[in-house]
Amino acid sequence: MFELLSPEILMSIMIAAVGVATVILLAAMGELITERSGIWNMGVEGTMLSGCLIAYLVMVGTGSPVMAALVAMIAGLVSGLLIGFMTITLRVDHFVTGLGFNLLASGLTLFWFRSYVGGGKPPSYSTIDKSAIPGLADIPVLGPILFDQHLLTYIAFLSVPFIAFFLRRTTLGLETRAAGENPQFLEAKGLSVSNRQYSALLVGSALTALGGAFLMLAFADQFRPDISGGRGWLAIVAVIAGNWKPVRTMIAVMVFAVFDSVAVHAQGVGVDVPYQFFLMLPYVASILLLVMIRSRLGQPAKLGVPYLRH
Amino acid sequence: MIEIVPRKSTGWHTQVAAYLVALVLGFATSALLIKAGGASVAEGFGALYEGAFGSWEAVLQSLVAATPLIFTGLATVIAFRAEIWSIGQEGQMFAGAMCGYWVSLYLGGAPLLLAVPIIIFAAMIGGAFLGGFCGWLKTQFQVNEIISTVMLNYVIIYLLSYLLAGGPWTEEGSTSYHQTPVLADNFHLPLLVDGVKLHLGFILALVAAAICWVILKKTPLGFEIRALGFNPTALRFKGVNVTRTVLVVMGLSGALSAMAGVSEIFGVNYRLRGDVMVGLGFTGIIVGMIGGLNPIGAVIAALLFGALANGSLYMSVLSDIPPSLVPAMQGILLLFFLSASVLVRYSIRIKRFTHV
Amino acid sequence: MTSPIIEARKLYKSFGKVQANRDISFSVNGGELLCLFGENGAGKSTISACLTGLYPPDSGEILFKGKPLRMKSPAEAIRQGIGLVHQHFVLVPDFTVLENIVIGSEKSLVVQYEEAEKKLRHICANYGIEIDPNTLVRDLSVGEKQWAELLKALYFDADVLILDEPTATLDIENSKKLFRMIDKLKADGIALILISHFLDEVMQADRVAVLRHGAVVGIKRTAETTPEELTRMMVGRDLEPKLRDNSEVGEPRLVLENVTVEGSDQLLALNDVSMTIHHGEILGIAGVAGNGQNPLMEVISGIRTLASGRIILDGINIGGMNARKVKDMGLGHIPDDRFVAGLVPEMSIEENLILGDHRGLYADGALIDFGKMRLSAERAIKEFQISAPSSETPTGNLSGGNAQRVILAREIMLATKVLLANQPTRGLDVGVIEYIHKRLLEKRAQGVAVLIASSELEDLMNLCDRIGVLFQGRLMGIVDAQDTSLEEIGLLMAGQPLEVAA
Repeated sequence: MFELLSPEILMSIMIAAVGVATVILLAAMGELITERSGIWNMGVEGTMLSGCLIAYLVMVGTGSPVMAALVAMIAGLVSGLLIGFMTITLRVDHFVTGLGFNLLASGLTLFWFRSYVGGGKPPSYSTIDKSAIPGLADIPVLGPILFDQHLLTYIAFLSVPFIAFFLRRTTLGLETRAAGENPQFLEAKGLSVSNRQYSALLVGSALTALGGAFLMLAFADQFRPDISGGRGWLAIVAVIAGNWKPVRTMIAVMVFAVFDSVAVHAQGVGVDVPYQFFLMLPYVASILLLVMIRSRLGQPAKLGVPYLRH
Repeated sequence: MIEIVPRKSTGWHTQVAAYLVALVLGFATSALLIKAGGASVAEGFGALYEGAFGSWEAVLQSLVAATPLIFTGLATVIAFRAEIWSIGQEGQMFAGAMCGYWVSLYLGGAPLLLAVPIIIFAAMIGGAFLGGFCGWLKTQFQVNEIISTVMLNYVIIYLLSYLLAGGPWTEEGSTSYHQTPVLADNFHLPLLVDGVKLHLGFILALVAAAICWVILKKTPLGFEIRALGFNPTALRFKGVNVTRTVLVVMGLSGALSAMAGVSEIFGVNYRLRGDVMVGLGFTGIIVGMIGGLNPIGAVIAALLFGALANGSLYMSVLSDIPPSLVPAMQGILLLFFLSASVLVRYSIRIKRFTHV
Repeated sequence: MTSPIIEARKLYKSFGKVQANRDISFSVNGGELLCLFGENGAGKSTISACLTGLYPPDSGEILFKGKPLRMKSPAEAIRQGIGLVHQHFVLVPDFTVLENIVIGSEKSLVVQYEEAEKKLRHICANYGIEIDPNTLVRDLSVGEKQWAELLKALYFDADVLILDEPTATLDIENSKKLFRMIDKLKADGIALILISHFLDEVMQADRVAVLRHGAVVGIKRTAETTPEELTRMMVGRDLEPKLRDNSEVGEPRLVLENVTVEGSDQLLALNDVSMTIHHGEILGIAGVAGNGQNPLMEVISGIRTLASGRIILDGINIGGMNARKVKDMGLGHIPDDRFVAGLVPEMSIEENLILGDHRGLYADGALIDFGKMRLSAERAIKEFQISAPSSETPTGNLSGGNAQRVILAREIMLATKVLLANQPTRGLDVGVIEYIHKRLLEKRAQGVAVLIASSELEDLMNLCDRIGVLFQGRLMGIVDAQDTSLEEIGLLMAGQPLEVAA
């Protein structure tokens, strides 16, 4: 097992971790915005899976990763619209809706994939290339880890301070937070709570689907049922562990990503501990993280509470 | 602008009508799905029906398919009624099967009448323990039960994978099949009919449903479960031990899910495999929700979904439609039912009053 | 005589079958304070909602500065110059005072604070409000939150200000300060509407419109009327004479010694509280809610943990006992939040009545004794005059008064030794209030030790033998109800301790 600790492997683990983190981070940032507006979207896993499938289909069909990503985001918008309609307009319980959506997405993606593939072998493509930042990528140790990644990785990590700024200093950001903390506040000002919640949910779902697309395009060459493998759930846990703050959420995401990467490398390297135990690590880590981090102070006051006007 | 306003009261006529509409809409949407895939709706639904109800054997087979769903559906009902959103049915089902199998390794040549009850008991303990653990995490550490149960589902799946893929339980010489050796006859759940594998589990499932119904409606525990789902604060103010109620609910739910595992491994497949039961836990959630979080409703929903699952095999043989249509249909039906249950309690009004 | 700034003409508003407002007509001039006076449920809040654009009246007109005004949203009302100071603060605790005020009227993408801050500081200076606009609302005291709420309306240059029960959460000092501010606002020519059911506040207005059952019963100049006349107009009849029983109290029954309860954020919810309640005595706790009343009730009934000190009931130490055991000893507890702590709204009346006893008294072997439950419910409905279609009606469908009757029925039967009542008359109409007082006095006559916390001082003066005051978790003093005065209690509420007479 201690082969894992060799410098080359450690580097490889970290480089891969940053890549994997991108998937979870995009979803986590999306979910952060959604939850700050008061919607506890449990359908992240299903949304991500939808993004995966759509990205796969478009990529195989057009060969363009950009198209794949964009259409995946549209799939995310559709998911968000559906979840939003049920939670915001119909005021169905948030948990039940999200869980139901996951089941729907799981079934639909499976059906669609199998219909598409028919009896044959699923088509595949080559994964997208990284975009190294010239100069910076040559810095020893940190260079490859931080600056020799995919374009979307840079975007994902840069989104963290951007979202932090959005939530704290922009009008729309403050209004969105008000929807999650005290919707009556917005109502008394004549502002629509549901508009802001829908917006947050749509943006969040689009980001999540984008994360799913990235998972497909960068890490897999073909779709598999349930390829998202619980990463959507890890995004939700990361938001809670991060106390609903962008930077802390990012840290939680990195913790999961490192474990995820360790697990993959353990399979490759061939350690004497059965690899399945490494695969368990991210999930066990998430529970431990929640046990350790008891503070829920950042939780929006009205998170998960369906809002009824007057 | 659409506004949803609560209705004062709903007659059961309205509820039944709403659910029927949901059913119809659900099937209609599924039909669209079939058409979109380029297949024939009539062929597809026809084969589905044939496979589910076309012959006496088919009907019995549908009951077999429904059995685990009744258990996981009941597990969902018990937990969700208390507004404890346990998604651990899948993992607890596997855990039950695993505990049952593990015990069977020590039961050698024991007679069936002794072995089977012990296996059932061990399985229920395993499921209850897993569920109770998540309940403990919730009450002690405020760990959201959705997350803990989902995470542990993955842990259990990987544990099973280790045990079956070259690990201690793997059948000799078949590492790639991920299965245990065939179980001896004394571990098989007795069959109720000849020819079709309708086993004792089905009766046990109906008994479990009856017990759950009595618990929820008529016992102090059921009273607490319902009150917990509505308003835990009021219970706390009355000195009710809410922690204990949560643990009991999670344990009960886990034990029920475990029975689904016993039913599939010891009643149908006669060996522990990683692939046969996949999805039955999640389908149980749908069954429970569509059943209106009511034990009787869950049984009816389970029968419906068991029929669908059974029919889908026939359908995939007779038409181009993959059997995975059924999970998709289940998801679609769920969303329609959820909408129906909301709409039944509310009426929709279009308001001209605008906000920014 | 100036023309009125705001006028309501024949307003009608109903919600479903309930006619909340009928034929409402009144006017307010600039520089004048009109009070809308009526008991809970009389329709005051509905009028305020119509005047501030929350929803349009079914019929009738609102005239603002002489011209008819149809508002489609609260934003429009604010723009026109009609400001509302809400009864329950509509503030976001995580935002600063400045952000709370400015959000919603900002047109730019990023919030521009400098201009707004300048204007806000100017307003604060003008009206003597000492708040730093950059403080988080979370960190403000209750009184300061009320000023923040007021600032929200003042910031938008309101010509009309509606204040909805503004002193409900203020202590006497801050209430006085509020009325000084109202005088300044009047001097600035603003038309003010005060919604209140407190008699002493009503008499400070220039004119009062009395509401009963959704209609205006009469509009009078306060100089030309008396509190008694106004009360009669509000209730429609003469109130029953106050029947305080002056019999002697007995032996000590419930004793608290140096009770301390932990709160959040390092503060103590209850700090070294000692008191004794005797057989057949009603001890009142005055003070604005939030000073320790809830922790006091909860620690006595066993819901909250006792950090240190002792609680003794009839000689037995109950500190640390769980709530069920305490209840079984003969303690009843009427919590302050009816539908959250007292009842399960989705469950029926009969189910709510057995809440807490579903495993004990009402259990028959492994099942619930439904027959007993039904009988008990029918008896309770009759005795406590609960108005409901049947005993199976969900309590969530009941009015506040009837819901309180259900809780009363359950707790009064339990309370053979001690009865705790936390804000029992809040939000209820006079009829129910009278009934509750009657039952409390009955308990007193039976020898039960009654502890009542209420923010309605008049109730306490009429009901209690002694009155204590809690301020930030400390007991400031206990005075004899007959010998004390409002001033004395006011001082205690403001934090000036007396010699503690436990």
